[in-house]
Amino acid sequence: MENNTLLKVNDIHTFIGQFHILQGVSVEIPKGKIVSLLGRNGAGKTTTLKSILGLAPPTQGQVILDGEEIQGRRSYDIANMGIGFVPEHRAIFRDLSVHENLLIAERKKGDLEKKEELIFSLFPDLKRLIKLPGTNLSGGQQQMLAVARALVPDNKLLLIDEPSEGLAPVLIEQMMEAIRQLSAESTVLLVEQNFIVASQLAESYVIIEEGHSVKSGKMVDLAADPETIHRYLEAA
Amino acid sequence: MNTLISSFRRNRTFWITLLVLIIIFALGVRGLVDQEAEGGERYKNVVITILRGLSTGSIIFLVASGFSIIFGLMSVLNMAHGAIFMVGAYVGWTVAVRPDTVVDATTPIALLISGFLLVPVWDQIIKKIKISPALSRLWPWLGLILTLLVLGFLLPKYPITSWDVGSYEISPVNFAFAASQGQVNVPEPEQFQGISPLIGLGGILLGSILAGITVTGFVASRRPTTAGRAPQPGALRKSLINFIIVALLGLLLYIFNTPISNFLYTLDSTWLFIVAILVAVATGAGLGILIESTLIRPIYESHMYVLMLTLGVNAIIIEVVRSIWGAPEFTMHRPSVFAGTGEGCPAESFGDLLQYKCSTIRILGGRVRTYNEIFITILGIVVLIAVWLLLQRTRLGMIVRAGVQDSEMVKALGINVQRIFTIVFSLGVGLAAMGGVIGAPSTGLTTTLGDSLLINMLVALAIGGLTSYPGAAAGALIVGLLQQFIIKYGQIGINIPFVEEAFKPSPPLVPAMTVLLMVVILLVLPQGLFGRKE
Repeated sequence: MENNTLLKVNDIHTFIGQFHILQGVSVEIPKGKIVSLLGRNGAGKTTTLKSILGLAPPTQGQVILDGEEIQGRRSYDIANMGIGFVPEHRAIFRDLSVHENLLIAERKKGDLEKKEELIFSLFPDLKRLIKLPGTNLSGGQQQMLAVARALVPDNKLLLIDEPSEGLAPVLIEQMMEAIRQLSAESTVLLVEQNFIVASQLAESYVIIEEGHSVKSGKMVDLAADPETIHRYLEAA
Repeated sequence: MNTLISSFRRNRTFWITLLVLIIIFALGVRGLVDQEAEGGERYKNVVITILRGLSTGSIIFLVASGFSIIFGLMSVLNMAHGAIFMVGAYVGWTVAVRPDTVVDATTPIALLISGFLLVPVWDQIIKKIKISPALSRLWPWLGLILTLLVLGFLLPKYPITSWDVGSYEISPVNFAFAASQGQVNVPEPEQFQGISPLIGLGGILLGSILAGITVTGFVASRRPTTAGRAPQPGALRKSLINFIIVALLGLLLYIFNTPISNFLYTLDSTWLFIVAILVAVATGAGLGILIESTLIRPIYESHMYVLMLTLGVNAIIIEVVRSIWGAPEFTMHRPSVFAGTGEGCPAESFGDLLQYKCSTIRILGGRVRTYNEIFITILGIVVLIAVWLLLQRTRLGMIVRAGVQDSEMVKALGINVQRIFTIVFSLGVGLAAMGGVIGAPSTGLTTTLGDSLLINMLVALAIGGLTSYPGAAAGALIVGLLQQFIIKYGQIGINIPFVEEAFKPSPPLVPAMTVLLMVVILLVLPQGLFGRKE
């Protein structure tokens, strides 16, 4: 079982400024699976992703990637161990073209060339937009680009924050299909507000409430448990 | 066509402001046309004033471009930028007039740098040794005291042939005067007094190694215990090899000190000027790395502290320069290709200019100085294009453009933003130092050189838009032109209707007018001409 775990987050505590945002979050992600972080707004889901990446370093607890403790290391070192990040508001670089937005994610020369085919098969639109500046993209196109950017280097783990946020239903469908295809080759930790999206993609879940991870298990069990959904996920 | 109209609508204020600026410029040009003169000569004043404006703008741009990129990427308002411009000027002067001093100084500097190249090695060794936290916090302080003792005893004893600010005969002012007369007087080289050279050189090397260990200790004691990465294969060997190369370089420079100095003295002043530019840029970039990595890095997040810190650094640099080179003003001679006054001068055409190396060229009946007005302008344009290419065509430029918007995301992509910060800071500061050498022959050297430039630069950036590269260029151009037009009108006067006497703006009005223009533009366009609306 232990060998099968790609990332283990063990009881981490994280402060942002003086606020004690995470007060004991534990997540375990098996290799090749999609795990969804659920919880209400402000529960600490995004902070958990940032803590894993070292962008908001945890003050307590361990983050173990492939058996190696990575908490306290510098963000770029952690990312270079093979973690791709798709942040909440996409963070597409405005002053860079779509092509440059992909190119900047290369860890070594030629990364993009190798992945071009995969990226364009997942998001055919990007091929047409490749020369445009990042500013000229619609929200959906930006989201595709943000996911594509995380695919450029060989990543073992993708941290995806709110991929369906603000997207039209057709685009959500396309994004889900892309994530599903991705999980065939890499492991995904998905933060998702939209429970329908999360329940269709992820095999297991972790619920975070007020900085604590309170519940975890198989997604099928959660879908059949309206009481838990009501208690932790529906708007209070 | 539709997009053009809609872009016009969206940026209405921008286009109107631009139109007003162009109208003011056209009126200014019209007023300078000499109605009484014949043919092309009527435009003499116009051409000269515009060329002077371009040249002033070029110098401002050299400093402003680096400042704005640093601010955009790191949110650091580097108030020491003007001081480093001044350092560039003084270092450039020293290379041009007293190359022996520069050669003397390189040995201790190389030895001091070499010790820090070993830091990765010490880092690995310190990690292997387990000691109590209290002790690991204490020993770097002991190391610091030891370092200061060794270096404090040996560095003042190191023989650098220089000048004496206190006595006129061997003061920078006198050396500058002699050089402008084309005389070279080389003082006797100094020697180690009282200690053997072996102890002197070895001691400085030892001191720098101690300093490296001390710095490693300080950094390690602040780091959480689990942090730090495994060394990349070969990294340790590489840092060892770098150490040996730089230390040997220092030693070789010591051994071949006299031949190198003599060689530099035989060089033509044009070649020496090129050396001066290189040395000044290297000094500026080195200072940049030092300031960024030791002072700014620990307090990045608190912008107010960084601002105060760099203001302090500015004051310190000015005082250090004053104590080394003295307070009196002195001049730097132009490189020989721009200094010809003999046969065929002033040049009548650009062909003549290249043939006779004239200091002035006749354009439309007016005499234009080749160095001040033409060379500086061309250099400004070259740097404008070079930096633009660096930003648009290289990976470093791509990372900088991305980092200006969102440096956290750049980090998350696995890019060492810290290192990019250091590189950009040292490049920006190096550009400022280059501006200093380039400007020195036309403005002369004073310790207040940086202050007035800093103001002009801030005004230019406020007009152009703080973090925009085209904005820095446009702002510098506008400030340069405005200043030169006002200076010119100060000489010929403005005819105001119904007023008997022509109004002559006095020189103190020059900075006031640039600030006034900035105020007006900021009232209309708070983010500057090319700034992004947030």
